[in-house]
Amino acid sequence: MFAIKLGLRNLTRQKRRNIITAMVIAYAFFFYLLFDSVLNGMEEMSFENVIDFETGHIQIANSDYWEEREELPLDNLIYLDQEVQEGLEGIDELSGISPELRFTANLNNGIDELPAIGVGVDPEQYKKVFITQNYLVAGTMFSPGEYQAVMGASLARLMDLKINDYITLLVRTKEDTFNAIDVEVVGLFNTPNPMVNGSTVLIPLDIAQQSLNVENSVSLITLKLDQEKDAKTTITNLNRTFQRKDLNLRAYSWQESAETVVALSEAKKAGIGVILLVVLLIGVIGIVNNIILSALERTEEIGMMKALGMKESEIVLTFMVEAVGIGILGGLLGCLLGVIGVGWMSKYGWGLGYVGGEGSAYGIPIMDKIYGVWNFSAFVFLFFLVIVVALFSSIAPAWWAARKDPVKAIYHR
Amino acid sequence: MALLELNKVKKIYQQGKIEVPALRGIDLMVEPGEFTTIFGPSGSGKTTLLNMIGCLDTPTEGEIKLNGDRVSDLSRTKLAMVRRYNIGFIFQAYNLIPVLTAYENVEFAIRLIHHLKEEEMKEKALNILEAVGLKGLETRRPNELSGGEKQRVAVARALVKEPKIVLADEPTANLDSKTGADVIKIMVKMNQKLGTTFIFSTHDPQIMKYAKRLINLRDGMISGDERR
Repeated sequence: MFAIKLGLRNLTRQKRRNIITAMVIAYAFFFYLLFDSVLNGMEEMSFENVIDFETGHIQIANSDYWEEREELPLDNLIYLDQEVQEGLEGIDELSGISPELRFTANLNNGIDELPAIGVGVDPEQYKKVFITQNYLVAGTMFSPGEYQAVMGASLARLMDLKINDYITLLVRTKEDTFNAIDVEVVGLFNTPNPMVNGSTVLIPLDIAQQSLNVENSVSLITLKLDQEKDAKTTITNLNRTFQRKDLNLRAYSWQESAETVVALSEAKKAGIGVILLVVLLIGVIGIVNNIILSALERTEEIGMMKALGMKESEIVLTFMVEAVGIGILGGLLGCLLGVIGVGWMSKYGWGLGYVGGEGSAYGIPIMDKIYGVWNFSAFVFLFFLVIVVALFSSIAPAWWAARKDPVKAIYHR
Repeated sequence: MALLELNKVKKIYQQGKIEVPALRGIDLMVEPGEFTTIFGPSGSGKTTLLNMIGCLDTPTEGEIKLNGDRVSDLSRTKLAMVRRYNIGFIFQAYNLIPVLTAYENVEFAIRLIHHLKEEEMKEKALNILEAVGLKGLETRRPNELSGGEKQRVAVARALVKEPKIVLADEPTANLDSKTGADVIKIMVKMNQKLGTTFIFSTHDPQIMKYAKRLINLRDGMISGDERR
């Protein structure tokens, strides 16, 4: 159609203005892609750090314990008897099971005291679920039955502790009596999860159970599966088994365990939505402005077209084609900038030092750098959205132009 | 039957609270194939009259008939269709589309009405460009053409769709006298060759001498109508 040809040809007019409008759209497009990449990267890293260092894929706990788990109580623990052991048998695609006894403790180095989270674990089982051992920056993991501890490097730094130093964990037993656990620091870890580094002290499970008077009991049983996608089915099967065996236990997904991080993820979606709105607004303003200026410049031409009998809808079409052309140009430039930006972010990352320290300060379990992730669907989605927005935002100014009185348009009255 | 018939056509413009009469009751009949000039001083209503005839504007009072059909009170869309199929325009400022070549400017007009095959359309456009003396300049854009050449493109654009009437509002005003005369001669030639009715306004006595009918407009009324 000739209107389309004319619209495309009109793109070559006012090249500078069209390019500036396309660049504005491209920059908005680029920032959206960059934010989307960073926020998705942050989410992915947060989730990985929660799974690999805090929760595993599934946590099993007594329902009553779960309600108060933030307080790390010593009531409603899981007694690891034959029936529980049997309940955990036959789980498909299982990488590891790690029972944990979590407790609050005051960490004392002989001079200072700080609150800490004590976790009693079996090192052999623990390493099948968590990867903390891979991040030991000094020393080694302890052995069962030894009065030894492995702790976060940040916490050790705060307490001026090093390998082979002795610490005392002041705890309250199940009966609410005080006890002290003296352990030697045999390992320091520095994981990508700052929450763990700054608060956690791992000790052997048997030592913890003995010191807290909770023989053969644990707070939680954490499970790691080969594939995270199997978690939902496994949880359903486990809960069915627990119900059948009349055990007051429930299996919880890691998302239920890490509500804060999941809530941040939801906030991220809202944040991306706001950025998307800003991008679209910029696109709309750019296109509307461009079409109005073009229409004002071409008033006589519009009059001539109407004099020749061109329908208003045909004149509108020429402007819409022009707007879509600018949208496509902006989208392509934005894609190019996005590829560069996201590529850079996914390779080199963005140091949290630029915004004042590690992610824990913002409730994000990320240590020092956020890496972008590729989200090709965002490229495609935004490219087509920009075109659709360009198309629709041009309609009103194009109608305004096309409805001009032909006499006034021709004679510029 | 007259091609064009104006009965007691009045046009009053409203400027704030003041009514400004541009046409004060025009009665006019134009037969097919006429070559007519409307002349008169500035503000006499020449352009307004051409706009009424060209269905670009509607009269405040009176009626206009084109080919026996009343067109003075049609809707905007219907008026656009009347213009598309019946009327060609030539403007003082040429009003060519700067991003299109001479050929494409003509093609633009023909595509509005004809559903011809590509080849036929091309042949028609090239023929009319040759007829107005623009052979070899088809691929030039308006900024690569002289004023006279631009106006010839405008003539070709007006004629290519074979309208019943071609209206030209001071088509030579932006041209020197020789170029202006050349353009008018082309219009005369096309009038004789195709039998198209031409109505144009001018101030220039040199141009008027080519007209077969001279209509003198003064203060919105016809003060003289001379056939040669």
